Amino acid sequence: MRDTRLEKFAKVLVHYCLGAEKGDAMLIRGESIAAPLIHEVYAEALRAGAHPMLRLALPGMSETFYNTAKKHQLTYQSPFAQYEIENIDKLMSIRATENTKDLSNIDPKTQAVARKSQTKWMQTFRDRSAAGDLRWSLTQFPCSAYAQNAEMSMSDYEDFVFRACMLHRKDPVAAWRSVHRKQAKFCKRLNQAKKLRIVREGTDVSMSIAGRTWINSDGRTNMPSGEVFTGPVEDSVEGKIRYSFPAIWGGREVHGIELTFKKGKVVKATAEKGEDFLHATLDTDEGARFVGEVAVGTNYNIQKFTKNILFDEKIGGTVHIAVGASYPQTGGKNSSSVHWDMITDMRHGGRIYADGKLIYKDGQFILS
Amino acid sequence: MRDERYTKLAEVLVNYSVAIERKQLVQISGPTLAEPLMTEVYRAVLKAGGHPATRPYFPGHSEIFYALAKKHHLEYVSPLSKFETERVDRFITIWGDENTRALSNVDPEKQKLRSRSNRELFHRFLERESAGEIKWVGTQFPCNASAQDAEMSLTEYEDFVLNACLVNLKDPIAAWRKIHNKQKRICNRLNKAKTIRVVAKDTDLKMKVTGRKWINCDGQANMPDGEIFTGPIENSVEGKIAFSFPACYSGREVHGVRLTFKKGRVVKATADKGEDFLHAMLDTDDGARRVGEFAIGTNYNVQKFTKNTLFDEKIGGTIHMALGASLPESGGVNESGIHWDIVNDLREGGTIYADGKIVHRDGKFKL
Repeated sequence: MRDTRLEKFAKVLVHYCLGAEKGDAMLIRGESIAAPLIHEVYAEALRAGAHPMLRLALPGMSETFYNTAKKHQLTYQSPFAQYEIENIDKLMSIRATENTKDLSNIDPKTQAVARKSQTKWMQTFRDRSAAGDLRWSLTQFPCSAYAQNAEMSMSDYEDFVFRACMLHRKDPVAAWRSVHRKQAKFCKRLNQAKKLRIVREGTDVSMSIAGRTWINSDGRTNMPSGEVFTGPVEDSVEGKIRYSFPAIWGGREVHGIELTFKKGKVVKATAEKGEDFLHATLDTDEGARFVGEVAVGTNYNIQKFTKNILFDEKIGGTVHIAVGASYPQTGGKNSSSVHWDMITDMRHGGRIYADGKLIYKDGQFILS
Repeated sequence: MRDERYTKLAEVLVNYSVAIERKQLVQISGPTLAEPLMTEVYRAVLKAGGHPATRPYFPGHSEIFYALAKKHHLEYVSPLSKFETERVDRFITIWGDENTRALSNVDPEKQKLRSRSNRELFHRFLERESAGEIKWVGTQFPCNASAQDAEMSLTEYEDFVLNACLVNLKDPIAAWRKIHNKQKRICNRLNKAKTIRVVAKDTDLKMKVTGRKWINCDGQANMPDGEIFTGPIENSVEGKIAFSFPACYSGREVHGVRLTFKKGRVVKATADKGEDFLHAMLDTDDGARRVGEFAIGTNYNVQKFTKNTLFDEKIGGTIHMALGASLPESGGVNESGIHWDIVNDLREGGTIYADGKIVHRDGKFKL
């Protein structure tokens, strides 16, 4: 059975997100259970004249890796993965899983060691995409494991995903272009600001954003998207944040996180659940204790927290502040093998000040 | 549910067939439906200290590719594939399909162009293999599509496949070593021969094998295995052969293939069914009309023709000849974008002569 919405989805991904052209070397990465969407993307890429190649993962493979690999295997940098990231023109990543918790019992240190070996790959990926040599996009195939986390039925969850991607609209590409225009105004205002202060219950954090660029995330690199973000000046973050939503990294959930920053660095980190994992991740490398990204979610088609970062960080009326690597296109310079987005709800009483002026209140921008 | 036999098969593939050493780069490719075996192979490679790179693919993608591919797609050789062909130390290929006939209606011209584009990669692969830089093994995951071709239930077919691989035995690796020793004696005998003649129903074919080497296929490159082969001198094949079994290639079947050779070249080719496809394949390139391999199947655990070359060419008591590329380790020098094995039954009334002496009759060696 073919869901015709997937054809529409594939067209948005191949043409709007990636801008695939004749002769492009395109890598499609995904779990094999995303087959129905991968088939459509593969076919659409061929129609666009690109050369699609698949890099599929099989369910359970990561778990097998972590449970079997010895040190020389955990720290190994695959020359194939490196060669790919140095040579491809387009990268489509499609998330899917049978079990979002299959790595729950893996030693976080083991995961941290393996992640560190990916630093060079990540650096190449970031550099090439910042230079415009590589266009990439990340999306997610709706599957039961995510529906379960979202506390929805499969068909409700499919609708949730498709709405978030605006595939329910007659012309999704036009809808995303309109998001682009709206967000361009937010970015323009924020680019004039030197200092940002975010305030809500349990949170009062300030940072310098002078000279940094706000990026308009308009659905091309993430589908769905709907956020504006930058990288704050690395040693400027001061104050305290209490994250209202659980933060999820590598399949683990950490609840009730509070971070205290001094001169940009996390000097205190507590959590109600999963504090050990939080500490282990912050200890991955030097950069893991610094903020790589500050962002505002603007996708009001996403209202519900579903324990899935691709959607949660876009919730219209939230802010997320990520520890770890920054995106070079923002001007951010923090380097780390971690990039952990943590989200806080601004819809009830949250405020953002730019150079002391209120520009955002209760989950909405208030630009004059 | 894990079938322990896949764990055992994976250990044979990893520790015997390609004998992985610590830190070797191992490419594991196969269809997603072979997940139960692929996962075990992945685990076994990690246990052996290797670096596995898994390359699963969707069984239906070739069909999508051929349906949509334009000329530049058919001619494209991915630099990523080139890079891997240069760098991988060990290749483990798992075959399996949802539908072994998915490509039945693809234009043979498109497939021909694709084979031609891949020729350089294939050539480089063979070159590295004969230089001893890499080892490769191909195996079959028992799936319904193959069971259907074999006219068996999936359970019966699983037993067929795993028994052919000797996984039913307590120590399959020891059993394969024993086969190695037995076949070594046969190869030693045939290495002394200058000419081979095969006589069977509607078949009388001669070829020179002077200076060529007989290779002992003992489960290292194919699993299952059980054959010995050589590459005849390219311009020496003379006579005719009528193949008792259908010739299968990329999901196509050609029935009743009859070939006439002159000076090593196919000068006449007929078939009862699929003759157009046979001719298109022979026209792939110049080498496609010559014999790249002559072989004798020795796996008596494989008795039944199942329309799958991996098994059929091993049937104890058969011979097969491949049109196209020779395997350089035999001393063969034929080059082609194809390598098409076609099998002929010798179990009832077939005879093989080496320099005029009977060495094989009714499917059994007479040494």
